[in-house]
Amino acid sequence: MAFIDFIINSILTQASITIALIAFAGLLLQRKAFGEVMSGSFKTMLGFLVLSAGSSIIVGSLVYFGDIFAEGFGMEGIVPSIEAINGQAMNDLGLANQIALTFLAIFIFNIILARFTKWKYIFLTGQAILWMATMTTVFGSAAGFSGISLILVGGLVGGFFAVAMPAIAQPIVRKITGSDDIALGHFCTIGYVFAAGVSKVVGKNSESTENIKFPKGLGFLSDTYLSVAFVMVPLYVITAFFAGAEFASELSGDVNYVVYAFLQAVQFVVGVYVLLSGVRLLLAEIVPAFRGIALKLVPDAKPALDCPVLFPYAPNAVTAGFVTTTIGTVIAMFVLPWFGLAMILPGMLTNFFAGGTAGIFMNAVGGKRGVLFGGIAHGFFITLLPALLVPHFNSLGFINTTATDVDTVAAGLFFEWLVHPIMNLFA
Amino acid sequence: MLQILVVCGAGLGSSFACQMSVESVLQEIGVHAAVDHSDISSAAGSRADIIISGKNFESQFRRYDLSMDLIFLDRLVDKSEIKEKLVPVLEAKGAL
Repeated sequence: MAFIDFIINSILTQASITIALIAFAGLLLQRKAFGEVMSGSFKTMLGFLVLSAGSSIIVGSLVYFGDIFAEGFGMEGIVPSIEAINGQAMNDLGLANQIALTFLAIFIFNIILARFTKWKYIFLTGQAILWMATMTTVFGSAAGFSGISLILVGGLVGGFFAVAMPAIAQPIVRKITGSDDIALGHFCTIGYVFAAGVSKVVGKNSESTENIKFPKGLGFLSDTYLSVAFVMVPLYVITAFFAGAEFASELSGDVNYVVYAFLQAVQFVVGVYVLLSGVRLLLAEIVPAFRGIALKLVPDAKPALDCPVLFPYAPNAVTAGFVTTTIGTVIAMFVLPWFGLAMILPGMLTNFFAGGTAGIFMNAVGGKRGVLFGGIAHGFFITLLPALLVPHFNSLGFINTTATDVDTVAAGLFFEWLVHPIMNLFA
Repeated sequence: MLQILVVCGAGLGSSFACQMSVESVLQEIGVHAAVDHSDISSAAGSRADIIISGKNFESQFRRYDLSMDLIFLDRLVDKSEIKEKLVPVLEAKGAL
């Protein structure tokens, strides 16, 4: 018995070991050489632990930011970051293991649904599945699920999104790529379809964005980490000014309070960088294994890939969609508090990737005018949904942050608005 | 061994999808190479022999003075385009 206790309490509850074992099994199934199996499993474990280290850096920086923001503006400013949600869920709520197992369950349900429904999509964007697993686990456990049922419910909901989201995007993806070979696997798809709908209404006969000339100077924004820094540095520094020297100096010790705010903003970028490096290590072995197995089981499946795969088809629309979506998120930041909702600061990672992809969608159906008005509506929409989740996150103890990626937010709202009340009836 | 690095903005999704296509092309033409993927900030400091990225990143790479071969793709996961652009580079390097 002592041995079984040891296995359960000290091995299987350690998420990094669980996920390494998942990779180990996947590599064995593919009959890889012994050396590859061992190095692949170890790298997966390393990736998971690097990811956790990155998330604690992000949280450290956000705690500081929350303090100066509250002092400077007398209200809570929420930083939308699915990475931070993932970090806090794993480190502070102790859900790391459930998230790792739900991640696996989503893969499995994806294959089952693709095999037996007409939605033949295999969702290969690993980090998006990780964020989805995070949200179903956080809100599934808040709704009262635990153990196996938590993982199965999360896997089913996540697996449904993994086939349904590529399916609703596919008509426009076909129009963009001119083929039916690839699909879009990115959990911001509800936003893309919404934005494309607005664009279609307003953008009749408007010219394509690909005829506009953009200044070359904006090119650096396609570098993810630079674009995050581009927003976080002014945000932290200006907020520190508003908080005032007296208050902010208490937090900065011997360092000048403005310099300290600058360094903390860079620290946030460091956290994102470390976390995403961990994700990269983590997925390097799991995704090809999953792809190999899935394509054997579902022979006519289409791979659903990450959004930048579409970027080369309409690069101007990416920049235009990013800019117009950002305008929409800034408007929403000021407007939503009037309605009693939290003030959500613009999240630049999402604005770039989701805004850029929405730009391509909007351009495909409504040209320049579609991208302008559709993008503003898109920015508003992707700020409104996370704002609705803020009270739920706060009640669960998350610090100054909310989720991004509207499909994962929709999954969270599905649990909070529908599953949780139903569970309460039986409780 | 020949090192090939596939690059995108965050070094997560599309570079990884592209890497898997590059690997199947290499297998098809019988070339052994170590393929990896990364973000554009780290790529400039890498020691890869060949860097593959999207057309939209071309202006970013041109700012650096890089000694390795650079390939820019219009369609990141299109195997025929990868083959068409990669084969001449591999031939020039004597790897094929």
